[in-house]
Amino acid sequence: MERETAIQFKNVSKIYKLKRKDKDVTKDQKTQYFYALKDISFEVKKGQVLGILGTNGSGKSTMALVLSGIASPDEGEIIVEGEQALVAINTGLNKELTGLENIELKGALLGLTQKKVREITDGVIEFAEIGDFLYQPVKKYSSGMKSRLGFSINLCLNPDILIIDEALSVGDKGFAHKCLARMNELKEEGKTIIFISHSLPQVREFCDTAMWLEGGKMKEYGAIEDVCDHYAEYIEHYHTLTKAEKKAEREEKFKERIIKNRKVGWIDRLFG
Amino acid sequence: MFTSAKYVLSENYQNFHRIVSIAKYELLADMRESKLGVFWNFANPAIQVLTYWFVFGYVFNRKAVDDIPYIVWMLGGMVVWFFVSPCITDGCNSVYQKVNVITKMKFPVSILPMTIVLEKLFDHFCLFVIMIIIFATQGYFPSVYWLGLIYYLFCTIVFAVSLSLTTSVLNMLARDTRKLILACMRLLLYLTPILWNIERVGHGRISRLIMCNPIYYLVQGYRDCFFYHRGFMAYSWSMAWFWGITLALFFFGSYMMYKFKTRFIDMI
Repeated sequence: MERETAIQFKNVSKIYKLKRKDKDVTKDQKTQYFYALKDISFEVKKGQVLGILGTNGSGKSTMALVLSGIASPDEGEIIVEGEQALVAINTGLNKELTGLENIELKGALLGLTQKKVREITDGVIEFAEIGDFLYQPVKKYSSGMKSRLGFSINLCLNPDILIIDEALSVGDKGFAHKCLARMNELKEEGKTIIFISHSLPQVREFCDTAMWLEGGKMKEYGAIEDVCDHYAEYIEHYHTLTKAEKKAEREEKFKERIIKNRKVGWIDRLFG
Repeated sequence: MFTSAKYVLSENYQNFHRIVSIAKYELLADMRESKLGVFWNFANPAIQVLTYWFVFGYVFNRKAVDDIPYIVWMLGGMVVWFFVSPCITDGCNSVYQKVNVITKMKFPVSILPMTIVLEKLFDHFCLFVIMIIIFATQGYFPSVYWLGLIYYLFCTIVFAVSLSLTTSVLNMLARDTRKLILACMRLLLYLTPILWNIERVGHGRISRLIMCNPIYYLVQGYRDCFFYHRGFMAYSWSMAWFWGITLALFFFGSYMMYKFKTRFIDMI
């Protein structure tokens, strides 16, 4: 059976501007444009669970932002069917307010109606395991507790497409396990899930397809086993390199991502 | 142009619950921070008003304006200034302040100016209560003319939101906007006939220039409801000018909001 498309990327690029504010730089060096993502095309089907792998600075987080519609691409086109939501853990929590009030506040920030917030409140309290701290201001919480609260509110949402960026690194093993269980539930409900992580075992366990980003470009996209194996090989290969070689490789990649001769005036920025 | 205005309006309308909740919890968090909480919402404006009264009413010994005791007359205009001024300065910062929210979740950015205005509305009512008490001691009591305040309050809200829509986006493009606004507001307090009567500058070019200030229309409107009872039509020119500026700001602000709604993340 041919599944419907949930997300489609067509030659998507995202460009960041790099500015140097220190002195003694030539005019060319002052503002540089940089490909955070370069020419990426792929398709995600409904109900697919996609893992995105990549080393630090390979564009994973930018990918999450673009996928969730927070940032728009500079080139190319994205077609999304359904509502997407990025799991944001600590965002929107106010440290002066109690746990319960924060559930309401964050619920409202995420655009839930009052009724919906009341519905999910019990679920969140149970899932976050904060117990009596519910009526304490969040500033008294331990960092793990805070993350659990934030994460739980996110997981009680019901978007069509869920994007999770490095979220499972919060909390202890038990909590991570619980989150995975909850995500598996969502998976069985047929949600499209995009899971961004550099923890290879978690991706292997949870996803059915994977994408490997390297230096802002899509290196591989396909079945989970193949991509993960290749990624693991690459990581091992990278570790065997000497310091100088590593540095050379990093610089090489950085150079490829710089765009030469791009000028955008402020008038274009305003009205272009 | 109209698509963007429609977009901003519908976003504000659809997310009304979000706006109210954010304003409510923001206020609540602010009160929780201090031990006395809501007391400061009353004490702060009261102290400020008393300072101005002491300096201008007592030390400089300003005479009654149009047979209205100076403190009463001043308060009638001051009350709206203390609402619109924080709305403008904080409204300008409204998007930047929430940067960690708008870069981490899908969020209707154009509702942020409205949340600020709603938050400040609470302070406005606090000051209003203080004002009613002071008015009562001087023998001024609420009358049916005060109903006109509803219209002027509406004007103030629309103006503050429209201006904040524009300035908050500009502030994202360049953070200098906020500094500029802060400086301008400090200047405007004295350039708007709040502490002094417009009659004092005569009827020449300067008075006309001062009347161009849209905030003047609001101040005059509030005072009209309290003391003069001339009605809305007595200020038809000011009214047309005020709404012209407000609508222009609104359309421009909406256009910018619409254009940059997914670009804010690149501007940090």
